Amino acid sequence: MKQAAFNLAWRLFKHETKRGELTIILLAIILAVGSVLSLSLFSERLQSALTAKSAEFIAADRVLDSRNPMNEQWLAKANEFGLQTAQQVYTRSMVFANDKLQLSELRAASSTYPLKGKIKVSDVAFAQGAFTEALPQEGEAWIESRLLQSLDVKLGDEIEIGAANFTISKVLVEVPDAGFNIFGGDPKVLIPLDDLANTQVTGPGSRVTYTAFFSGSSANLNDYYDWLRPQLDNEIHRWKSIEDDNSPIGNAVSRAEQYFLLASLLAIVLAAVSIAVAAQRYSQRHYDPVAIMKTLGASKNMVQQIYLLQIIFITVLGIIIGSVVGFVLQQLVVWALADSINVSMDAWHWRPLIIAIFTGSICALLFSLYPLLKLFSVSPLRVLRRDLGANLSSRIIQFIASGGAIFLLMWAYSENLTISAILFSSGVLLVLALLLVTYGLIWLGRAFGQGRMSAWRLAWARIHRRALDNSVQLISFAITIMLLLVVLVMRNDMVQQWQDQLPQGTPNYFLVNITQNQQSELAQHFEARKVNVEKFYPVVRGRFVAINGEKIRTAVSKEDEEQQSSGRDGLGREANLTWSDELQTGSRVTAGHWFNESPLSDTLDTEQYGVSVEERLAERLNIKLGDELTFNIGSEVVQVRVTSLRDVNWQSMRPNFFFVIEPKALAHFVPTYLASFYLPKEQKSELTQLMLPFASVTLIDVDARIDQLRNIVEQVSLAVEFILILVLIAGSLVLVAQVQASMDERQQELAILRTLGAKGRLIRGSVLCEFIIIGLTAGLMAAVFNELSLYLLQSQVFQMEAKLHWQYWFIAPVAGALVVSFLGALSCWRLLKLNTSHLLRQMV
Amino acid sequence: MTPIKMISTNSISKTVSTTQGQLEILKPISFDVSEGESIAIVGASGSGKSTLLSLLAGLDEVSSGEIFIDGQAMHTMNEEQRAQLRGAKVGFIFQSFMLVQSLTAIENIMLPAEIAGLNDARSKALKLLQLVGLDHRAKHYPNQLSGGEQQRVAIARAFITQPKILFADEPTGNLDASNSDKVEQLLFDLNRELNTTLILVTHDPKLAAKCQRQLQMHAGALSEITSSENAE
Repeated sequence: MKQAAFNLAWRLFKHETKRGELTIILLAIILAVGSVLSLSLFSERLQSALTAKSAEFIAADRVLDSRNPMNEQWLAKANEFGLQTAQQVYTRSMVFANDKLQLSELRAASSTYPLKGKIKVSDVAFAQGAFTEALPQEGEAWIESRLLQSLDVKLGDEIEIGAANFTISKVLVEVPDAGFNIFGGDPKVLIPLDDLANTQVTGPGSRVTYTAFFSGSSANLNDYYDWLRPQLDNEIHRWKSIEDDNSPIGNAVSRAEQYFLLASLLAIVLAAVSIAVAAQRYSQRHYDPVAIMKTLGASKNMVQQIYLLQIIFITVLGIIIGSVVGFVLQQLVVWALADSINVSMDAWHWRPLIIAIFTGSICALLFSLYPLLKLFSVSPLRVLRRDLGANLSSRIIQFIASGGAIFLLMWAYSENLTISAILFSSGVLLVLALLLVTYGLIWLGRAFGQGRMSAWRLAWARIHRRALDNSVQLISFAITIMLLLVVLVMRNDMVQQWQDQLPQGTPNYFLVNITQNQQSELAQHFEARKVNVEKFYPVVRGRFVAINGEKIRTAVSKEDEEQQSSGRDGLGREANLTWSDELQTGSRVTAGHWFNESPLSDTLDTEQYGVSVEERLAERLNIKLGDELTFNIGSEVVQVRVTSLRDVNWQSMRPNFFFVIEPKALAHFVPTYLASFYLPKEQKSELTQLMLPFASVTLIDVDARIDQLRNIVEQVSLAVEFILILVLIAGSLVLVAQVQASMDERQQELAILRTLGAKGRLIRGSVLCEFIIIGLTAGLMAAVFNELSLYLLQSQVFQMEAKLHWQYWFIAPVAGALVVSFLGALSCWRLLKLNTSHLLRQMV
Repeated sequence: MTPIKMISTNSISKTVSTTQGQLEILKPISFDVSEGESIAIVGASGSGKSTLLSLLAGLDEVSSGEIFIDGQAMHTMNEEQRAQLRGAKVGFIFQSFMLVQSLTAIENIMLPAEIAGLNDARSKALKLLQLVGLDHRAKHYPNQLSGGEQQRVAIARAFITQPKILFADEPTGNLDASNSDKVEQLLFDLNRELNTTLILVTHDPKLAAKCQRQLQMHAGALSEITSSENAE
């Protein structure tokens, strides 16, 4: 019996494949496997490429920071694990030359530093510089332009750091792991690690960070970390990778990763929808053969074996073709992107293939479960009574099987319950709402579907009559359109946000240490040269000493700084304090009130003014609204009360402050000023001229940083764009499959109408009207639920500000109606080209 | 010697539930059919012919009464057992041919033999195909064949398992006169050659007249109108 079932299944499969009867379900599986494979393989390869690229921003794949000298054994062990290592010791120290002194950021690096990315140096100050593989030799130091400026030294001169002297041999333009905080940080000095001991600056009491860099394959890195982790002390050590890095790059990469994940999940759902549609149709087309086989004596068991085997054959074939298609598609995209994305994409990942195969199998089996159960229940009596369908009518099984399958796939794939739950629950709500709408349509159909025979009337009559089929169709159209909208709008919002972050004309130079006397002169001088200085921020240096009168240890310690996001360098032993009446661009009050709006200000005594504290710093130091903060500024003590907490966008490349104090509080202090301006690249040569009269003002060049940041964001955006296109293609194919499937169901009716002499125009018109109504409804519903999903996704997963997208409330229904009716018309035209007898014969 | 009873029914009836309550579509019927006999069930549309056929063939369950097929009590069997019985003893021919569209002519003929697990299904099918004059069409799909050809394939399919009983539901209903004649000829020739019991549902009096007995269905009740003497 088993052999017979296999033979029959194989024979049916062979013929039906050859005759194109399995095309739709096969295409659906190919689509499922192909899109999941191409999307996830592409995104996985892209992710690892981007991670590799962005690893340059921490100069390694992983970094271990420590407050204590690095354990040499750990480094030796890393080498045993096949990892490359480098070391850097990092501290702040005074640098002396020409009787001048300047606090600097001292970096002492081992010969293998940096493992990722390159150091940029030049022979003149404020030049573009060139990459180098070299490092300063023994007794040499590479220093930043502004240190040259402030110490009034040149290449070849000597500087004094602690107990040692160094010769300046290069101007240090850029180190890969500079971080993104561009001002407030002290100028960098790079010396060889072996020379550090001579300086004697790392003695007891000094605040030093010892950093070990690691690079190698992720497997080796993970193995090593597994070995290392038990030995780490959270108080002393911090292990980080670029994903943990809360820098603009880290954020862009991790957000892009979430987007890819989202796109792949949606591809899975799209694939599942198309398989569900196809399986339904497959089942209906096999009612007759099952009835015949049962009549001829086939047992239920045998019928089950035959059709399960057939589904397995189809699935296997679909998976094979789908894998090839997916791989080719993905490879084409990789080739197309090769020029734009400057990262190697050669790595092969097995996970996407396994996921694609898993998706294909699960979708094919679980989504065909209900149609198959229905098929198995077909009565042999159907051979005599052709109107008999399947006996099984419980849609609950269908919803549980298909819903469960989708949710499990999403969860298993994303390993992210939130993202899966959001998408799934919006999907469920959409289905429920659509069922309601369908019943509305049935009611409308009853009302409109009466009267004189016209295309419009025929369309409504058909919608009414085929209510249940239409509900399935409507749901699948709406889900497809909704998913496409989610992917599209999400991409737009995300790219828009990235672009807003660094618009053209973002200041690429910062000026610090502008004295009060220089301020207006500098403003005029710059204006005369048509360079726009945005704003002058007054700055005084103050020491943060107490909260509510309770002394704090070292205010904000070095280690704490490291935990603080990108703003870490903004707060050392001394904090930059500014005052302002206005809230800075990119900042947002999250608790309390801004000074002039504060109801507290009336109740405060005259000596007590307000301060606004950066939210995360406040959280870390447990500062609450109403707390009294004490600062030592010069010899004076200033006490201020916390009136607001602010969310600061540290990625904006604008001056940002942890503390903004009410202007009156600092009115009698003489500040220096800080300003930023934008200078186009082609005007870079004018810089020396521009700065000539202000020798004491320090210039910080962040042009290279901004370029790097913009470059990576552009690459990520481009990648996101391609993912979007892939999903759009997949979605369109699903729509085609859906229209095609529904067209087959309509064939019988068309044949009858045709036989009865209905004009082609009437039939075409009615089909067009029907599809327009369905497309409009599906589009509108999709727009509504797109909004819901986006709100949840953006607020819960992507940490973006959610907003409404009114334009899509118009675009989605119109586009839905246009696309669906166009595809419908196309299929209908094809059918109408066949002659009536051919149509009738196909129906048998 | 008394002829072997191939079909024996005892007060079989069929009742269905409708929104208006129970509806008796077949009133209690009792009759016997001997081995090798040919019987025509005639009657107007809706008189219950097809219902009776579906009960006799075990495609549907009786509401009450007993049916014995070749001595086996079919009314006590479940769907699976009835399928087994059909596979072993019964052949079918339908008005709408009911060929599997995705199998070729020869594969359609092989189908019952394969389901029954018989050996050399292909050579048997080929022989039957020759017998019905369609060996040159073996690899054609049903929609590539004319109505008459499709019905001849269906006849070949019906006989491949050498069934003891053949049920034919309006076998010529969809055919023109010349094809009808060919199909009728074939049907009765094979019936005689293989000593198959033939139960034929038709409203064509000419075809009915070719059977040994004619049973008339009227509003769910059965009456015998001719006996075997009139048969060809």
